[in-house]
Amino acid sequence: MANQAVLGLYRTPEAAADAVGNLQQAGIGHNDYEIMTGVPYPEGTFGEPPVRHKLYVFPFMGAMIGLTLAILEGAGTQLAYPLVTGGKPILSVPPIIIISYELTLLGAIVFTVIGIIFESRLPRPALGVYDTRITEGLIGVVCTCPEERVEEVRGLLQRAAAIEVKVGQG
Amino acid sequence: MASEEVARDVLQRTFVKGGRYWQAVAVLAVVFLLGVVGFILKLGDERAQWGYFAATFSYLFTVAQTAPVVSVALRLAKNHWRRPLARASELFAVVGLFNLLFFIPLLILLPSIEGRNTIWILGVWPSRFYTPHIFDTLALVGLVVLGLLFLWTAAVPDFAAAREQRGGRGRYAFLALGWQGTARQWRIQRALLGLLGGLYFMDVLTTHFLISSDFSMALVPGWVDSIYPTFHALTGLQAAVAVTIVTMFLLRTVGGYREYLPMESFWGLSKILLAMSLMWFYFWWSAFITFWYGRLPVEQNIIQLIMFGPYRPFFIIGFLFCCIFAVGLLIWNPLRKSPAAMAAIAAMILVGGFFDRMRLYVASWSLADTTEHELTKVPAAIWPQVPDLLVIAGGLAGAVLVYMLATRVVPVMSIWEMKELRLYQVPRQLVRRRMLSLGKPE
Repeated sequence: MANQAVLGLYRTPEAAADAVGNLQQAGIGHNDYEIMTGVPYPEGTFGEPPVRHKLYVFPFMGAMIGLTLAILEGAGTQLAYPLVTGGKPILSVPPIIIISYELTLLGAIVFTVIGIIFESRLPRPALGVYDTRITEGLIGVVCTCPEERVEEVRGLLQRAAAIEVKVGQG
Repeated sequence: MASEEVARDVLQRTFVKGGRYWQAVAVLAVVFLLGVVGFILKLGDERAQWGYFAATFSYLFTVAQTAPVVSVALRLAKNHWRRPLARASELFAVVGLFNLLFFIPLLILLPSIEGRNTIWILGVWPSRFYTPHIFDTLALVGLVVLGLLFLWTAAVPDFAAAREQRGGRGRYAFLALGWQGTARQWRIQRALLGLLGGLYFMDVLTTHFLISSDFSMALVPGWVDSIYPTFHALTGLQAAVAVTIVTMFLLRTVGGYREYLPMESFWGLSKILLAMSLMWFYFWWSAFITFWYGRLPVEQNIIQLIMFGPYRPFFIIGFLFCCIFAVGLLIWNPLRKSPAAMAAIAAMILVGGFFDRMRLYVASWSLADTTEHELTKVPAAIWPQVPDLLVIAGGLAGAVLVYMLATRVVPVMSIWEMKELRLYQVPRQLVRRRMLSLGKPE
């Protein structure tokens, strides 16, 4: 059976926090509801658990790959053209530091872009159940649930003084 | 002003521009086209004649592509007075796209590294002769992409607000990419701003290093100065703060954003500008004294070339405007607290910065032979010809034009950050004085 999304709209953060509390008490998992705001409220304002993400892994991976490529390129050049310069060893670190730094940075940038695509979950071709008034200050609590629980969730959201409750495709 | 009013007001100012705005756009477009004419007239000139073009490129890079660092650094420091100025500095990232146009002819004109002392080593094909071309392009394009990504990340909630006001369609629907303001999206956005900001800061310093080394120092035989790239980056940061102050002042007086840009933002930046101006002297002196005491013929020739010789007038103007006058004025607190005075001082620094770039880049590009072992003779000054003046005017006008056109799309005030500040700020009475209490969520 298809899931449905139920959106409750609130004027105050207190009311939205009550709605989140109602959902939690009803046993709805924290992956099944979202809070939508026009302003970034500090984490935990509505009693929701902290958001986990792996964004930081991406630039780190990219940096490692960039550094590896830079070392391969730099050392490969030194070995391919074994010219002694100023009595220094053929294979040495200082001449490849600039390229290493640059490619490490570029690797981090490229992978951060990939990370944005994976972690931000944007672009979203369709906004789903949404209300344009959220950017104007209303707070939305949207819960995804099986069709048979829609009325129960609607009641939970309504009980926290929702000014409107909408139901749509989850 | 309430949060909802902030959004409505800023978006209205973004969507609808007055007659003065369009007049300014028209004038800038005409000057830019004259610059294109100047560029066409320059085609076929020898490399030594392209110094003013290189100086304009370097200046735009110094000012505009370093400007987002102001927002990055203050955001990382988590202060609040930067909120009204954040977008004004981030928006300079779009000028980076324009500056890439200046970069292309310079890449073509930049000689091969063969026979020259540069920061690069001769590698294998295809990088054998074109190492700086490849890596400098990567760094600059990377910086432009990073700047635009940073701008988009910072502006995406405002694009969503604009999307709602425009009925959910059009360019804002595209730019917002379906942003809904979920807790996860806000969390990712905050993390991204930190990450992209940190990477931008790292990349801008690298690019300063590469541009200053490859497009000026390595063109002068025997000029080996490890402090110069740092001086280049530091003067870039000074110019970045200065251009942000001038932009804020224009937004405040002409743009109608007086209510959003309080004195505190100017005051806060003024102290950073004072520190930068003091450091200008420190870095310049550290490089100069090494050459002056060294007294090798090549060292004497180099300080003649870039400071006291043919380009002495440029050097004196740069030194006075960016350092002596700037410090002499910025030490006075009443001036630091006056937006008009700060804008005047910042404008003076920007003018001085341009003369400083001219004395460095015109001098470097004026040498016919870049493969000598060392500089043995200081060439006579190359003064700007009409095409050079057109290119300079057109380049600067083009950069301002691109910025102004960008303000038609991207709100110049960060709406969500201004609204966020209102969440944390509560007016209260302390005995007989009214003040603002500020909450710190972290």
